[in-house]
Amino acid sequence: MDRKVVVPGDLLSEDAKRSGEGTFVKDGKVYSLLYGLANYKDKINVIPLAGKYVPAPGDNVIGVIKDITFSNWIVDINSPYDGLLHISEFPKRIEAEEMSKYLRMGSSIMTRVKDVDPTMKVELTLNDRKLGSIRTGRVIEISHTRVPRLIGKGGSMISMLKKEMNCNIFVGQNGMIWISGGEEEMDLALKTILLIEKEAHTNGLTDRIVEFLKSEKGARS
Amino acid sequence: MDMDEAEISFFKDGLRLDGRGADQIRPIKIEVGVLARADGSCYVEMGKNKVIAAVYGPREVHPRHLQEVTRAIVRYRYNMASFSVEERKRPGPDRRSHELSKVSREALEPVILTSYFPRSVIDVFVEVLQADAGTRTAGINAASVALADAGIPMKSMISSCAAGKVGDTLIMDPMKEEDNFGQADMPLAMTPSGEITLLQMDGRLSQEEFRQALQMAMRGCREVYEIQRKSLLDKYSQLESEPVQEVQALE
Amino acid sequence: MSSVLSEIRKDYLYNLVLKGERADGRRFDEYREISIEKNVISKAEGSALVKLGLSQVMVGVKMQPGEPFPDSPNRGVIITNAELVPLASPTFEPGPPNEVGIELARLVDRGVRESKAVDLEKLCIIPGKQVWVIFIDVHILDDCGNIKDASSLGAIAALLTTRVPASRFGLGEDYSLPVNDVPIATTAIEFGDVLMFDPDVDEESIANTKLTVISTADGSICGMQKSGPGMLTPEQAYRIVDIACQKAREIREKFLEV
Repeated sequence: MDRKVVVPGDLLSEDAKRSGEGTFVKDGKVYSLLYGLANYKDKINVIPLAGKYVPAPGDNVIGVIKDITFSNWIVDINSPYDGLLHISEFPKRIEAEEMSKYLRMGSSIMTRVKDVDPTMKVELTLNDRKLGSIRTGRVIEISHTRVPRLIGKGGSMISMLKKEMNCNIFVGQNGMIWISGGEEEMDLALKTILLIEKEAHTNGLTDRIVEFLKSEKGARS
Repeated sequence: MDMDEAEISFFKDGLRLDGRGADQIRPIKIEVGVLARADGSCYVEMGKNKVIAAVYGPREVHPRHLQEVTRAIVRYRYNMASFSVEERKRPGPDRRSHELSKVSREALEPVILTSYFPRSVIDVFVEVLQADAGTRTAGINAASVALADAGIPMKSMISSCAAGKVGDTLIMDPMKEEDNFGQADMPLAMTPSGEITLLQMDGRLSQEEFRQALQMAMRGCREVYEIQRKSLLDKYSQLESEPVQEVQALE
Repeated sequence: MSSVLSEIRKDYLYNLVLKGERADGRRFDEYREISIEKNVISKAEGSALVKLGLSQVMVGVKMQPGEPFPDSPNRGVIITNAELVPLASPTFEPGPPNEVGIELARLVDRGVRESKAVDLEKLCIIPGKQVWVIFIDVHILDDCGNIKDASSLGAIAALLTTRVPASRFGLGEDYSLPVNDVPIATTAIEFGDVLMFDPDVDEESIANTKLTVISTADGSICGMQKSGPGMLTPEQAYRIVDIACQKAREIREKFLEV
């Protein structure tokens, strides 16, 4: 088990079967496609430091309405691809003329990617009680490449944060995060999330975050 | 400085005007991630050349009709600042910058995995802040690192270096005086394994001289590659507080 | 995210303002960290790289002999241009300067010209025939807000480092360009009835209106520009001018005493 910083074109393995995310195979050997950290497990995955979010079906994302057509809201989901929210995917039956009454330009929503077709047409849905319009709380942005670390194995990191900080937190796969709670709690939650983003690739992060929260909460009481 | 071709000697005691051997590139400095708004960026000094490259993308294509359904398009814009050259240059593109933009784009396109991002554009912008012969090679070197910094998937890096001929001698990485009064200039760009993505020449070379010049330029490119690679690795180690050993917790 | 701010972000900034705060914790009249690197382009006659927070602007000064304008036969010429190159922001497009770029260049020019920082009479070579032409070229590298102030600062910093290249044209020895004043532009925005100096990108996009004040070493004003769709009351204008001259003095004393 090993981790190593690599650049595009670096040779990772002579065994083509170990090719994972962020790699490609040429002449039976595995090479890196990205600048990032190569993770040596059964498969070798390269996790990039930077890059744009590419939507996949099932992803929770936070978006901002940027345009309204006759039957779709066009949603900026912090990606090279906009999301389309069709009027039929709104949880309430509404008329086309009413669309801007419910979600207007600049409104933020917690939504899910329903489908992505081969031409990267991205369909969103709000048909779920956990999804909807954002009216309170705060939204911040981190690099989408850090979201897996923020969620943690089996959701361990994010559950711990929600509990310790007594906040509602919705993590978008696109790096947008919504937090709701008391002012001080939200401040602390944001500080913690930004710290996780900064140190996502380091060792022993979970323990350090637990320590950090303990000391911050101690200082405030 | 008023130079009369007949009077210049490009070599003195076997060394070039700036003290280099025939087979030496100019000192190179590379800084990764120097701009906040760009998705990826890189500042390069090669001798007295100072260039900065920025990458935006993949992002939405405007105007829409330029987009391609199955892949990202790549755009490269080479531009010189007015104060970058001895005689102040009128701002804006000219025929030379259009040509350099095209061949530079074609130097990088072969390694970019554009099929990963249909209907989008990867924009590369290179600004020359100070010029001293070899700005297109410095630009490509900076652009290659900026693309990696932006997280663009590539089959390999691209490195660029020129060879030239002055005083009947082949030299590596000509500087301005050698380029202006030399007999040939041959910029090259390639992957670390030697696949050529940019090759231009103007001047006069015999076929044998061309073979040697190509080998020379390829050696130069490999030297540049090592410096590009090191600058990217160094940036990462600055971000880390300690060497990593454990597997990252991922779903 | 796209260049349009979400409502929730706007609300957040507005609520901070009501509490007397800004997103990055600065006071309303506080400038971000400034650094000025001089002579960064040795081939130019003068140059400076200004960093204002994360914004970065490079200014180069080039000089060459040229013809005077017909209506001022014995005076040198200053030509100021600004390039808002696409490298600096996802919202900048390639092409000739648009109204924003032109306004910025003319503002920088106004500061240099109206303060008489450079004595154009001293730039005459052959009366009626040949004068020194000074090109001030602003090259934006990273737009993280308030590039107006950064550009104006870069221009005067570059002029202060400028060496007249007389020897290159057989006109004697090189000498330092005489600079008589240090005009500094300071910009404030109005938002939620509050005045804020040195806006960052988000603050610029929610601003109702902006006022730039260019002041000279003796504290008088040599240029002003209101921009943006909103309105200002006379009281707001007086207050901005008051703080602007103070800020300019602080910046001048710290970085550019002539």
